[in-house]
Amino acid sequence: MFRIIKKSLTIGVVTGQYQKGGTPAVPVVPEVKKKAGLFKRSFAIREVDTGSCNACEMEMNALMNPVYDAEQFGIHIAASPRHADALIVTGPVTVNMERALKDAHKQTPDPKLVIALGDCAIHCGMFKGCYAVTGPVERHIPVDVRIPGCPPRPADILEALSELRKGRP
Amino acid sequence: MPEATLCDDVLKVAFPAIQQNAPVCEKSSHFVVPKDLLPAITHYLHTQPNFRGRLTLLWACDHRPVRDTYGLYYLFTLVGSHHWVVLSTELIGNDRLFPSITPHIHAAHWYEREIRDMFGLIPQGHPDLRRLVRHEHWPKGTHPLRKDFPWDRVLGRQQGEHHFRHIEGEGVFIVPVGPIHAGIIESGHFRFSVAGEPIMQLELRHFWKHRGVEKLFEQQTLIDALPLAERVSGDTTVGHSLAYCQAVETLLHLEVPRRAQYLRSLFLELERLSNHLGDIGAMCNDTAYALAHAHCGRMKERIMQLNDRLTGSRFLRGAIRVGGVTRDIDNGRLTEIVEELNRIQPDFSEVGAIIFANASLTDRLETTGILHERTAWDHAVMGVVGRASGMNCDLRRDRPFAAYDALPVNVALYRYGDVRARLRVRGDEIHESIRLIRELRGKIPDGPIANEPSCSPNPGDWTLSAVEGWRGEILYMVMAGEGGRIHRCKVRDPSFVNWPAIQWAVLGNIIPDFPLINKSFNLSYAGNDL
Ligand code: SF4
Repeated sequence: MFRIIKKSLTIGVVTGQYQKGGTPAVPVVPEVKKKAGLFKRSFAIREVDTGSCNACEMEMNALMNPVYDAEQFGIHIAASPRHADALIVTGPVTVNMERALKDAHKQTPDPKLVIALGDCAIHCGMFKGCYAVTGPVERHIPVDVRIPGCPPRPADILEALSELRKGRP
Repeated sequence: MPEATLCDDVLKVAFPAIQQNAPVCEKSSHFVVPKDLLPAITHYLHTQPNFRGRLTLLWACDHRPVRDTYGLYYLFTLVGSHHWVVLSTELIGNDRLFPSITPHIHAAHWYEREIRDMFGLIPQGHPDLRRLVRHEHWPKGTHPLRKDFPWDRVLGRQQGEHHFRHIEGEGVFIVPVGPIHAGIIESGHFRFSVAGEPIMQLELRHFWKHRGVEKLFEQQTLIDALPLAERVSGDTTVGHSLAYCQAVETLLHLEVPRRAQYLRSLFLELERLSNHLGDIGAMCNDTAYALAHAHCGRMKERIMQLNDRLTGSRFLRGAIRVGGVTRDIDNGRLTEIVEELNRIQPDFSEVGAIIFANASLTDRLETTGILHERTAWDHAVMGVVGRASGMNCDLRRDRPFAAYDALPVNVALYRYGDVRARLRVRGDEIHESIRLIRELRGKIPDGPIANEPSCSPNPGDWTLSAVEGWRGEILYMVMAGEGGRIHRCKVRDPSFVNWPAIQWAVLGNIIPDFPLINKSFNLSYAGNDL
């Protein structure tokens, strides 16, 4: 018990100990900002992996660690698309995942945002044109925000997500 | 190696019909075997006490347009000497049938189904010929790795339904999970049959994320395909790129400078550290012990940021190249790494002590998800999962690559095969990696960091390469084609072998423990689905 408390005390607060502002924030169109403004300070995200290499997932996971601590901005991960305000999609859409992605999108209540995370989700990256890949996310569902990078750094993802909700009324 | 030639002779005496070819890489022998003899000779290799061959890789290759044949290759690792034995056979002309070895070597199960899907070759006598990679909606007759299948074909859709194994009886429920899961994890489908609480059966349905990686390799040249290898499984960027580069270097007869070898080991260990730290945290998180998760997540983040400072990529992407490494880590930087690790080690030891002193946590970890040694052997399980179940294998020690010939590795080995053993293996390997990096800093020689490739490969040459990534053995088979292109590249992430074993590890456990067991295996879906 004392050991745990001592550990926590000696470590202190690590949140925010990362390099900020590497790349300029992703531009967000005003309509999307307006839509995002609805979610105020609570923003539930469902992550859908449609064929990524899992580095994008790792960075999403990193977002939840104490260093980035996305929860402090009201961003949390919903267990089901039905509880989500936004879908974050990673990876090119493979032939096998196409249906699952469309289903998840249908199950997410309106109004919703779709965020394409990583180069694969935006333009298929290295997997463009392959028989097993049907195309980028926007071929199947409308995409509101694109966060480029392979994989994007957690700092960039966080930056983009806060940029998104800056216009909140 | 006298031992190796001895085993070659024994094989030749036992099976006079086989013919020995030149070995494709170090510490290996290659035999051409008549097709009908395959079951007998594989059985012999697998069961003979002085061989105890573990099926390590099984792949097929379409040799057209050069010859009108399909090649089948079986790679066995002899457990005692770590020698490789490759058996190959050819299906000539319109022959599409080959004898299945699954009935007596269980580890071949998925490989043979994969070959059937990708090449349309049929393993006769295979107990389960359902589709594996191609989901049922793929049109009939699509076999992507055949040479006459265009890589950019647009697939149609047909009606079809996957038939899961079915258990019936009073009170038996089916619980389907996935492909999209509750956490931030990859896509895969699990189907549990439960009666009351305990799991009676688990069936996996994977390959949702099949991206056609092996076909994409064939569209590239040997040198240019490296970024693709880095993206087979993002968390194992170094492992995959290193395995790929080693194969290409053998084909190009390219020597890698010693300093680069050391730096490659350094990158591999950094990758192991960050992933093991993350895994330990995630396993604790699945038992709702958020404190350890937070601490491990913090330490993992420090390593990721260190990677970023060293190479400009948090996943060490682009750090390795064919012929060496892309950037030097000078001695000042090496000291910085060691100092950072010196800070992390006591920090981790403390967290480890907190974890293992926690009785309620131990209660969740112990005797959960036991993978017995026998099951592990039957499935040829290796890597972290194997070492927790008594499989004494680690390529860094058994078949040293990079700088491991000068950096002896102490292999962590446990026998219980439960979640706790897998946690302990990871914990031990974290300390071992830190020790290795320290030792490495003392030994690293000065010199160039890369050699330029000078010659081009002979079409039809092929080789194998193996790397002990943080999950386990990563294998690459690369066959050169015309004009420096790739004719065939077989990628095998350890996940492909270890996934089926999880179906046995969960039996008798309750579904709420499944996430924990799954996390303790922590296998890659992307590396499995390719
Ligand atoms: S964008 Fe890059 S990191 Fe993300 S899934 Fe694609 S290849 Fe992987």
